[in-house]
Amino acid sequence: MLKNYIKIAWRNIVNKKLYSAINIIGLTVGLAVGLLILLWVQDETSYDKFNTKVDRIYKVNASIGTGASKQVWGGTPAPVAFHAAKEVPGVEAAVRVVGDMDYSKFRYKDKLLRRTATMKFVDDAFFTVFDYKLLKGDPKKPFPTDQSIILSVTEAKKYFGDTDPMGKVLRGDDKDPYTVSGVMADMPANSSIQADYLFSINVRKKQYNGKGMWKAMDEDWGDYWADTYLLLKANASPIAIADKLTRIHMSLQKGIKPTDGVFQLQPLADIHLYNPDLTSAGAEIVKIFSIVALLILLIACINYVNLSTARSVLRSKEVSVRKIIGAERKHLFFQFVFETALCFLIALVLAFGIIYAIMPLYNHIANKEMHFDLFSTSVWKVIGITTIITLAASSIYPAILLSSFKPIDALRSRASGVGSGNFRKVLVVCQFAFSIGLIIGTLVINRQLHYIQTTQVGYDRDHVFTVNLYNNMYPHQDAVKAELLRHREITGVAVGDNIVNGDSSTGDTDWDGKPATASMVIHPFSIDQDFIKVFKVKLIAGSNFTGEKSDTSHYILNETAIKEAGIKNPIGKRFKLWQRNGIIIGVVKDFHFASLKQVIEPAIFSYAEKSGQLFVKTTGKNAAAAINLVKQYHVQYNHGDPPFEYNFLDDDFNNLYKTEQSTSMLFSIFAGIAIFISCLGLFGLATYTAQVKVKEIGIRKVLGASVLNITTMLSKDFLLLIVISLLIASPIAWYAMDKWLESYVYRISVNWITIALAGVGAILIALITISFQSIKAALANPVKSLRSE
Amino acid sequence: MLSLKNISKYYKAGNLKTSILNNINLDVDAGEFVSIMGPSGSGKSTLLNIIGMLDEPTDGYHYFLNQPIHQLKEKQRQALYKENIGFVFQAYHLIDELTVYENIETPLLYHNIKSDERKALVADMLDRFQIVGKKDLFPSQLSGGQQQLVGIARALIVSPKLLLADEPTGNLNSKQGDEIMELFKKLNKEEGMTIIQVTHSEKNAEYGSRIINLLDGTVESSKNV
Repeated sequence: MLKNYIKIAWRNIVNKKLYSAINIIGLTVGLAVGLLILLWVQDETSYDKFNTKVDRIYKVNASIGTGASKQVWGGTPAPVAFHAAKEVPGVEAAVRVVGDMDYSKFRYKDKLLRRTATMKFVDDAFFTVFDYKLLKGDPKKPFPTDQSIILSVTEAKKYFGDTDPMGKVLRGDDKDPYTVSGVMADMPANSSIQADYLFSINVRKKQYNGKGMWKAMDEDWGDYWADTYLLLKANASPIAIADKLTRIHMSLQKGIKPTDGVFQLQPLADIHLYNPDLTSAGAEIVKIFSIVALLILLIACINYVNLSTARSVLRSKEVSVRKIIGAERKHLFFQFVFETALCFLIALVLAFGIIYAIMPLYNHIANKEMHFDLFSTSVWKVIGITTIITLAASSIYPAILLSSFKPIDALRSRASGVGSGNFRKVLVVCQFAFSIGLIIGTLVINRQLHYIQTTQVGYDRDHVFTVNLYNNMYPHQDAVKAELLRHREITGVAVGDNIVNGDSSTGDTDWDGKPATASMVIHPFSIDQDFIKVFKVKLIAGSNFTGEKSDTSHYILNETAIKEAGIKNPIGKRFKLWQRNGIIIGVVKDFHFASLKQVIEPAIFSYAEKSGQLFVKTTGKNAAAAINLVKQYHVQYNHGDPPFEYNFLDDDFNNLYKTEQSTSMLFSIFAGIAIFISCLGLFGLATYTAQVKVKEIGIRKVLGASVLNITTMLSKDFLLLIVISLLIASPIAWYAMDKWLESYVYRISVNWITIALAGVGAILIALITISFQSIKAALANPVKSLRSE
Repeated sequence: MLSLKNISKYYKAGNLKTSILNNINLDVDAGEFVSIMGPSGSGKSTLLNIIGMLDEPTDGYHYFLNQPIHQLKEKQRQALYKENIGFVFQAYHLIDELTVYENIETPLLYHNIKSDERKALVADMLDRFQIVGKKDLFPSQLSGGQQQLVGIARALIVSPKLLLADEPTGNLNSKQGDEIMELFKKLNKEEGMTIIQVTHSEKNAEYGSRIINLLDGTVESSKNV
């Protein structure tokens, strides 16, 4: 029996080549794309979950300020971990992970390598709290001395090849010796913590020499530079622990405002997809893409269901005969199930092939290193669910449909009335509603992206590139600046912090007339006297830095900062940044120093005679020559070490929107695929309709209908369905995209033009699809079609 | 074997009642070969379908093998049908996607007969109808007469007690038609198969043992040959 089912299924697929091709292509593309998206979703949601204790590990975040200027930082002061481990009940262990103080190269004997991977300073509990694998060394005591270093396998191989690295000595920047005390497996790609060099946190501890504002690392409550992870005991309350930590902080840092440094615990499993302030850092995209995957799978399934139910009408003769010779409902049911299953199997194999083939490209677009594992349970979960839904819809429905009619009627009248076409119409409407929704989504995303990339940000970054001066050029920057300016290819030179992405901020501010309860978090930029000129930041009051000694006690603030601080007539007023008192000499117009997702926040320019970052403004025509000039100085001072690197601020700017860009690109691709599969189905249905109506077409032609008449007759029903889809999809898509746009402070609004564009596009594509078959049917010789009846 | 009492069949469309069969009474004994004749629209095919349980009468009593068909549930009726009745059509109605062999085998699949037994039964049947050489061909590769032979073989493979044929020679030329009729006669005479056929042709009707003439849904005459 089974063999018989399979045989029939196979012959049906082979004999009806067009239908089978449409079915299988639709399913293949749908499955492949659906699986690829779900793979991405799975990767995004898998972050840090390889840690067996992930349920009990939390990251400590710090909330600073209140109201509009409130910020939540992912870093905490170092003492948090110290006190948490020592005196907070419910905390089993605390680990700090700290970057900074980078060695740029390491030497082993005569092998000097530039460091390209990340280095981190961690507490001893690192390997017992997290599941990072220490292949060599003692996880309980990973750093026997403060001068110990742990390397990843990859990095260890670079220095030591196949020899055992343990006990060998690496010199950081050719001076500080570190003995290798362990080799760890490379950190998984889906780990939020990434490092190839691990050092003991004690290295950082030693940098506190008892002088300065903070005497020791574990007393330094002012610098929020440590990522602090806590391993809680089972059933410990994260809220209670956060409260306890806040209380400890308040009691130990004198004069702190009760709103600055309020600690919150964030589960480790959440930190990849959510920012410290619990806004989405990708969770939203994961959600959107899950929905898109579902829609694409649904569209593919609908295709199959539609075509197979339509075709089952044509097969009513076969079904009737089978009934007459003794087939029962279950026999017919399983016959249809097997046919669907076989189609699926073929589609699945092809989909796997496609997935393997485009995985590298996909990884490139998605900026990931995903692997398609044929044997992973989650892959099969997806396949299983898709298969069952499609099987159910495309087997049960026709099975019920076909077993409900009287076989003898079907044999007599070619069963023109079997099964209402309404079910199929509803499905087509669904399909196109999904597709149109995706098209509208794509249009809105692209328009928004275009908008934020072309909006005036309040400064001029055109043809400005930046280079790092490094240690040897740094002292000579005045000379370099002066010499560069002599060339006509270079129209401006400045040093300072990068204006495109002002991601540092501080709450350490004070000013005349500051209310006792107020606090202001401000983004500091240290710049030279040319910076404002080069970037054409508009000075609306006061004056620019002059480059004289007195500038070190001068500040220039942006409008928002002035407004938020509530300073009237700001010029000449006192302002204190960190521990440095100064006066406000200027106010600049607001400019965007972050993604347009964020509202403009307070910013402050302070004067720095020297800075590590050089900005060079040139013109489009002279860019290459200008880069070459700068390179010459780099070679002259730094002797090619490190190699010369530059980047245009435009690229930095685009990097702000990297996620948006890859999202929009993927979205466009998905929308295209959705419409492709939908059209494939429409094409099949149009073919079917033309086939069923072949006699009617013949009669109409004999009666004098023109090709246009016939084409219109065949097309208009379908077009009506598309219009209905448009009516259903547009309000939903409108609403959804409006919601999405809300995450941008500066945004476009969804308008009728977008909807109309999507609608006209969908209708046009559908029309082309349908008319291909309709015209063919209309052109056919009526004599033929009538005779064959 | 079969008894129809006061069988009527009509359709209602709005207030209009279209009668197809009107108060038919008919008894068929085992081993009979009955030919039903009548002009187009006289209801002969409907009558055959009712006998074959593919259609239901609006009124009347229907007994088959002493079972009251009009009282049976759909499932019981189907079981009774499946075990006892074979159908042959004017248009053969073979399954296009299956070979001759498979067409004949299919009813056995639905009767849950084991593979070995199936092979033996189909081989017998192919032998008996001398179509062994055609067993791997598809219906479209056969002549009409050959297709009808396969259709009959398929109907007979489950050894029904009653064979129903709806104009079995209607699509065949006269030579092929004669062959099929001879085959029916042989089945009836040598194996005692009960056969009821619907036919237009006087000549074909003569092969049977009784001829029933229908006109406008009633039995006009019934004569033994």
